[in-house]
Amino acid sequence: MKSETLEVPIRVVSSTKVGARIHTLDLLRELIERDIKLRYRGSLLGILWTLLNPLAELLVLIFVFGLVLRVNIPNYPAYLFTGLIVYGWFQTSVNFATGSIVGNRELVRRPGVPAAILPVVTVASNLVHFVLSLPILVGLLILSDIPFTTALLALPFLIALEFVLILGFAYPVAMIHVWFRDTQHVLRIALQLLFYMTPVFYEASSVPGRVQWFYQLNPMAQMIGAYRAVLLGGELPSPSSVLYLTVISGTLLAVGLAWFRKASHRFPDEL
Amino acid sequence: MDPILTVSNVGKKYRRYHPDRPATIQEAMAKGALGWRKMKSVEEFWSLSGITFSVGAGRTVGIVGANGSGKSTLLRLIGGVGRPDTGRIEVGGRIGGLLDLTAGFHHDLTGRENAMLAGILNGLSRKQVLERMDAIVSFAEVEDAIDSPVRTYSSGMQMRLAFSVTVHTDPEILLIDEVLAVGDMAFKRKCLDRIAKFKAEGCSILLVSHVGTTVEDMCDDAIWLDSGRLMAHGLVGDVVEQYTAHMNDNPSRVRRQ
Repeated sequence: MKSETLEVPIRVVSSTKVGARIHTLDLLRELIERDIKLRYRGSLLGILWTLLNPLAELLVLIFVFGLVLRVNIPNYPAYLFTGLIVYGWFQTSVNFATGSIVGNRELVRRPGVPAAILPVVTVASNLVHFVLSLPILVGLLILSDIPFTTALLALPFLIALEFVLILGFAYPVAMIHVWFRDTQHVLRIALQLLFYMTPVFYEASSVPGRVQWFYQLNPMAQMIGAYRAVLLGGELPSPSSVLYLTVISGTLLAVGLAWFRKASHRFPDEL
Repeated sequence: MDPILTVSNVGKKYRRYHPDRPATIQEAMAKGALGWRKMKSVEEFWSLSGITFSVGAGRTVGIVGANGSGKSTLLRLIGGVGRPDTGRIEVGGRIGGLLDLTAGFHHDLTGRENAMLAGILNGLSRKQVLERMDAIVSFAEVEDAIDSPVRTYSSGMQMRLAFSVTVHTDPEILLIDEVLAVGDMAFKRKCLDRIAKFKAEGCSILLVSHVGTTVEDMCDDAIWLDSGRLMAHGLVGDVVEQYTAHMNDNPSRVRRQ
């Protein structure tokens, strides 16, 4: 009974009946719905906030940079809005994902919840918001007389790529927050800084040469550039930036998830 | 008969940390290298060690032991919450667990929304939960409140809903922590009847038992845990006898919580 051999800890669940395992897709759907419901429950305008937020930001930035400082970028509203929603999805997801383990204590401590699903839920529910703001973008494209081309077919691929990229950031920050509860505050500042250092409301080409390297390395700058090529330029994104984004996103996710997995069995004890 | 649940040499280590262990990045930075060193645990203790037993299909097993003896930890590990540090747990069927009084319900969501999630977490599909929702609600006797947020529920109502979801998910192994301690007598009776029905249908049940209660009466076997060690495993009468004798000999032992 008290043999001291230390076996590798494995939990073997062999299902004897079909359906004995969790229906992951149903769980994902339920958790995403719950995430969206909880965010807007008790708010008067509900999901409309999703649209009002980027719209308000758009108006403020158009006022400042379109009318006061007169940035010389063609189709500025559409250009700006593309940057805003692409960066917004990233920023909001990473912010919320930080709390996705700590804030779901009651879920993490229940049988049946794979902790690794929680950051996915955050990124996915913010994807819903992203998609909901696409009609506004379409409206802006029409207003600016930008033609819809076959390059738009690359859009789903870019969305998938950004999903992977965000998730690659989401896993490590969610995990670190379990041990260091001010991660969220640190990140909020970092993400705000990164917002200004990403060409959302200006062009990457107007950045002075000696800091160009940062813009080349900043995956969000590359990501926004790729979206703009497809949406505004009617062309496919440059192969080099797609390659860079794929490598960065894949690596971040693989490393982040492995790290998260390794730590996740300690979550129930740490919360 | 093949066991439906096999627990081999399972141990769970808990870590105690330095009281000054930094909880934020700010603290860790301020304390410098010293702060990072304090991230390491200063003391480890085994809240379970060398636990080995198996449960045959259809057996009902009561777990007895003082507070802090590792009963809840053991049930949690079997339910898949956390991971044992040594050994392995093999489960051969769908687990239905009732390990927490709050059952992981979210207070701002309605009873119906919470029941849906709980059903999926117990291994049902959305469609199956929808089909069973009426039965779940009526068994829990919360028809009037099912579309109100759970924060408006009494603890008895929450427990009833949680119990009802669990019993409607066809578990093959039912894990029950001390949840039956709340709820009124009538509902407790109903739960025990339902558990007895599961037993008759061949479901295996593991429950935290209290000596001298109705719960004890329905167990076939019992496990006695003391300070994370398995003291005895056998027919319920024998184990309870040993346990009672031990408690009578050591009435004032202080146990680590």
